[in-house]
Amino acid sequence: MSTPDPITVEVIGSAIASIAEEMGETLIRASYSTNIKERRDCSTVLFDAAGRTLYQAEHIPIHLGSLMGVVEEVVKRHPVETIQEGDLFIGNDAYTGGGTHLPDIVFASPIFHQSALVGWATNLAHHADFVDRGHKHIFQEGLRIPPIRLHRAGELQRDVLDLILLNCQVPRERLADFRAQIAANHFGVRRFQALCDRYGVPLLNQVFDELLDYAERRMRAGIAAIPDGVYDFEDIFEGDEQPEPLTFKVRIEVTGETIHLDFAGNPPQVPAGLNIVNTALLATVYYAVKTIADPDAPPNAGLFRPISVSAPEASIVNASPPAAVNGRTNTCQRVVDLVLGALAKAVPERVIAACNGAVVAATFSGVNPRTGAYYVYLETLGGGFGARATKDGLDGVQAHITNTSNLPIEGLEPEYPLVVDRYELVRDSGGPGTWRGGMALRRQIRAVDHDCWVSVRGTRLKTGPWGLFGGHEGGRYSVEADPPLVGGRGDLAAGRTVSITTPGSGGYGDPATRDPDLVRRDLAEDRISPEVARGVHGV
Amino acid sequence: MHVWCVRWGDVRVSMAFRIGVDSGGTFTDVCLLDEDNGRVSVWKLPSTPTDPSIAIAGGTRQILERRQSTEPAEVSFFGHGTTVSTNALIQGRGARTGLVTNEGFRDLLELARQRRPHLYDLQTDKPEPLVPRDRRHEVAARMHYDGRVERAPDAGEIKAVARALKDQGVEAVAICLLYGFLDPSHEIAIAEGIAEVLGPEVFVSCAHRVCPEFREYERLSTTVVNGFLGPIMRGYLDNLTPRLREAGVAVAPHITQSNGGTISFETASAQPVRTILSGPSTGVVGALETARIVGERDLITFDMGGTSTDVALIEGGEPGLTTEAEVHGYPIKVPMIDIQTVGAGGGSIAHIDSGGFLKVGPRSAGAEPGPVCYGLGNEEPTVTDANVVMGVLDPNRLLGGRMEIDHDRALAAMERLGGKIGLGALETAAGIVRVVTANMARAIRLISVQRGHDPRDYCLIPFGGGGPAHAGRLARELGMGRILVPRNPGILCALGLLLTDLSQDFSVTRRTGLNADGIGAARAAIVQLRAEAEAWFALEDVAPERRAIGVTADMRYAGQNHELNVSVPEITDDAGFLDQLAANFAELHDRRYGYVAPEEPVELITFRLKASGLVDKPGFESAEEEGPDASPALVSRRPVYSSEDASFTETPIYDRDLLRPGNQVTGPAVITQFDSTTLVLAGQTATVDRYFNLALREGDVR
Repeated sequence: MSTPDPITVEVIGSAIASIAEEMGETLIRASYSTNIKERRDCSTVLFDAAGRTLYQAEHIPIHLGSLMGVVEEVVKRHPVETIQEGDLFIGNDAYTGGGTHLPDIVFASPIFHQSALVGWATNLAHHADFVDRGHKHIFQEGLRIPPIRLHRAGELQRDVLDLILLNCQVPRERLADFRAQIAANHFGVRRFQALCDRYGVPLLNQVFDELLDYAERRMRAGIAAIPDGVYDFEDIFEGDEQPEPLTFKVRIEVTGETIHLDFAGNPPQVPAGLNIVNTALLATVYYAVKTIADPDAPPNAGLFRPISVSAPEASIVNASPPAAVNGRTNTCQRVVDLVLGALAKAVPERVIAACNGAVVAATFSGVNPRTGAYYVYLETLGGGFGARATKDGLDGVQAHITNTSNLPIEGLEPEYPLVVDRYELVRDSGGPGTWRGGMALRRQIRAVDHDCWVSVRGTRLKTGPWGLFGGHEGGRYSVEADPPLVGGRGDLAAGRTVSITTPGSGGYGDPATRDPDLVRRDLAEDRISPEVARGVHGV
Repeated sequence: MHVWCVRWGDVRVSMAFRIGVDSGGTFTDVCLLDEDNGRVSVWKLPSTPTDPSIAIAGGTRQILERRQSTEPAEVSFFGHGTTVSTNALIQGRGARTGLVTNEGFRDLLELARQRRPHLYDLQTDKPEPLVPRDRRHEVAARMHYDGRVERAPDAGEIKAVARALKDQGVEAVAICLLYGFLDPSHEIAIAEGIAEVLGPEVFVSCAHRVCPEFREYERLSTTVVNGFLGPIMRGYLDNLTPRLREAGVAVAPHITQSNGGTISFETASAQPVRTILSGPSTGVVGALETARIVGERDLITFDMGGTSTDVALIEGGEPGLTTEAEVHGYPIKVPMIDIQTVGAGGGSIAHIDSGGFLKVGPRSAGAEPGPVCYGLGNEEPTVTDANVVMGVLDPNRLLGGRMEIDHDRALAAMERLGGKIGLGALETAAGIVRVVTANMARAIRLISVQRGHDPRDYCLIPFGGGGPAHAGRLARELGMGRILVPRNPGILCALGLLLTDLSQDFSVTRRTGLNADGIGAARAAIVQLRAEAEAWFALEDVAPERRAIGVTADMRYAGQNHELNVSVPEITDDAGFLDQLAANFAELHDRRYGYVAPEEPVELITFRLKASGLVDKPGFESAEEEGPDASPALVSRRPVYSSEDASFTETPIYDRDLLRPGNQVTGPAVITQFDSTTLVLAGQTATVDRYFNLALREGDVR
């Protein structure tokens, strides 16, 4: 058969993208838990029969790490010849389930066409469950589920479901969210099969090769535009879970159309939920390189090919069992900062200063006095997005490897016994520079008519997000509560508040050269104080 | 002012007319309907972007003067579709606006939902907040989710905020508080305080009036957009109203809103945010009414213009509405026809990307310099150039022969582009059309498959300049068996204005369980909405026999946050009401998501009422069917490239205006008219219906 023409490839590529996107919409709209339905903490991916990523719907970059490994892990455990039409696999384990932390529960459905396995429809949703746990090792962090069948040939395995639900703190939400996840996969399977009917599997497989090659070509072109060389960067990591500062580092080697990232010399894995497993490191690196090389390259496995990564075993960036992984995204954010910091010397016009460098996660749980039922409210808070070579950073957004929404206050308060007292930008949190770093967020929450348990996790308590080329660092992370939380955890009495300030982001260029009109505008809008205007910018 | 007559409907003797004017960026279309004989006359004239009312009133006057009758004309209806509010929003040319909100929440306007606009592109910016931070004021007031007041706003503080706004010289003020939809008293107190200090000239946009629904950010955004547009729309209508009167329009003029109905100028002045899709929604109504006459009620509309294409789905004669639209990055939560826009139209530029794939749009050559074939300086090939190269469009002239074009220049541009990926000019042209078709198909899947509708059950209605040339391939791509090309695809929007009912949407969020306890709340909400509708009917002077009301509710399983809009039956007996509502919800949930959860409790969230003032639908001109022989309309032949066979075929060209009802044209064929070209593919047959529409079907229908 001749190679499919580029137009056919383009047409089928659009169809694959729309299937993954529609799966995502189905999942979000039908789900129950606030973390999925409003905060959109979920992703959908289609794979070909060989487990190669065909398309990730654009939700959360780090989720690629959880989904990338899943087909491989399913097949490792279940010989392909035993997989039947109508099987549905569920899994979450970071070491054997294809996941990157336990709350991300993955559903994988094999797609059959004329009795042959032709692809996989998968999705992942972050379930706000497994809370109030220890993080010395992964066994403390929740139920570990290897990829096992929840449906066998279309038949629900009630025993499996019962076992999982019994280990969940909010089982009603879990069940309803599972239904939405199943509906999303069913949708993907049907649409994929319709595509097979229309074009035939041999042509589709050729097209998939072409789509991957295409993404690869685009990435190679983007990498080739980065000057060859070796680029190093170091940063300090500390936070609630890791009071002792650690040094993170990367060495990047760009050679022609390829790029190698070496994480040698990073700290050994820690007895805290900050370790990242290999697939999470890969997903993070793929994200970071894509932002520089080609933001619009299609998100499929072809873009991985020109990128190689090495990292020491059992280190914080390449964890081995039984390292705990729950708060891995804090580490991932810093890996992205490292990569951009290193490449600043090569492509200063394309990189940005350090972002918030954390995924500040606040969890409230307790018994809701209005219903008598146990509840879990999880929210991850955005912050500053680093300044750029020709413009300011973005104020108060989710940066880099996550992009979850906030929970509307009018969705939160009717559901949980909590009141949001403030949700605002923080003055002087954007690092000064020729271009100002994006500002941090403050969110203040009050417990109503009950005592609850609170956990707030983040980094950059003592070290601000760095600036570039003379830009200053951005604001630091802090949590105020009465009494203060210890290591980010504690009880919150009825009527008391916790106030969370996320990190800002770094500035770009010497602040003395900032356009005085911009300084005056920031001052008029109360984004900076008169002290910073005068003292730092001289205006 | 140059006015092109698209069609002269012989209106010399009549006295009663209806007029529709669609004012776009490039052209203003004026449609005149003679109520006596149902004939429609259509004119096109260049728009006057600095003051659109000049072209609108000028065109209207000229057309009334052309009647050549000494009797005074009576205009019984004047309908207007406009892009004034859309353009003001897109270009950021709204009013100087201030905001008043709760203490601790002034930044919500820019925090939005906390997501960044592009996942991988570090250089993308968020939309500029329409109110800068220093004009966003807070008052210490707080209400809770159950309507309980923790703190009411203090009169002194309100006054201080009002003075600050006055000092800032604002022309409009948006007011939006948490849970203001449950109890508007705090917002009202603030609005009164502001009116006292700033006077009546300041435009006040109150959330509980603009969008009384939950989810504070989307409500806030809608309220702010409304304030931002308020003074602009008011100024525009204040300008237009006297000009229309001078032009001979004595009747109260109406404007289309985004839900496809019309509202008075007064309502549009108070709630301009409702007119944001005024233009495109009028086209959908035009398509709907065109199809209704011939009995098609399940439609997908396909409006292809120069820079973009709009598609919408109509089921059972009702356009699908959404309350989750985003316009230019700003969420707008008022009911709008669920229109998907694709950044690709006739002027969209094709290019080869860094991975070697052919892409089309979103960059557009616009009307100037326009496609390569216009010869005005653009050398990058567009979709129109592809159609010229393939012979689908006349290689020598467009717009009924009024505009000369340069085929060879388009061909050379196509060769240059194709050379980059080893394709010939014709393969490249055919490729551009395929890529565009795939983009359009994806948009249609969004409004059909993703909403649980199978496009194969729907009739495709192509319009706009480019729709009829692409409809045949698009329908094949989606497996759609029926296409209906309206008589005047290029001016369907203006025509739609003659056919649009008055309508207004009312809503209120009242979260309640679908059970016996919830009936009282449901009843109260519906009574409240009915009262609001009655007041509106009185304001719009709608006669009792012309009033129609439809009630729906946004429902979900308790625990979900995305509701489905379910039709609400009449409340007769409580149990029957509950059962019917539950059944309606289950049916929709199953269709949309593929499952139901019968044991789960169901909630009612927002009640919605659509009030319509029905207008008489004019009878369109029709004629008895004649024979299938279309040869009298055959005007020439030219080679047209078929991508299916990769070769040119000598193809008959028909003049649309010479085709008679009953005539049949078998593809391959091209049917031309002033403002549009219909391509009939090999294997398809076009039949002219009694109303001069073209019905395209696969196969030989004889």
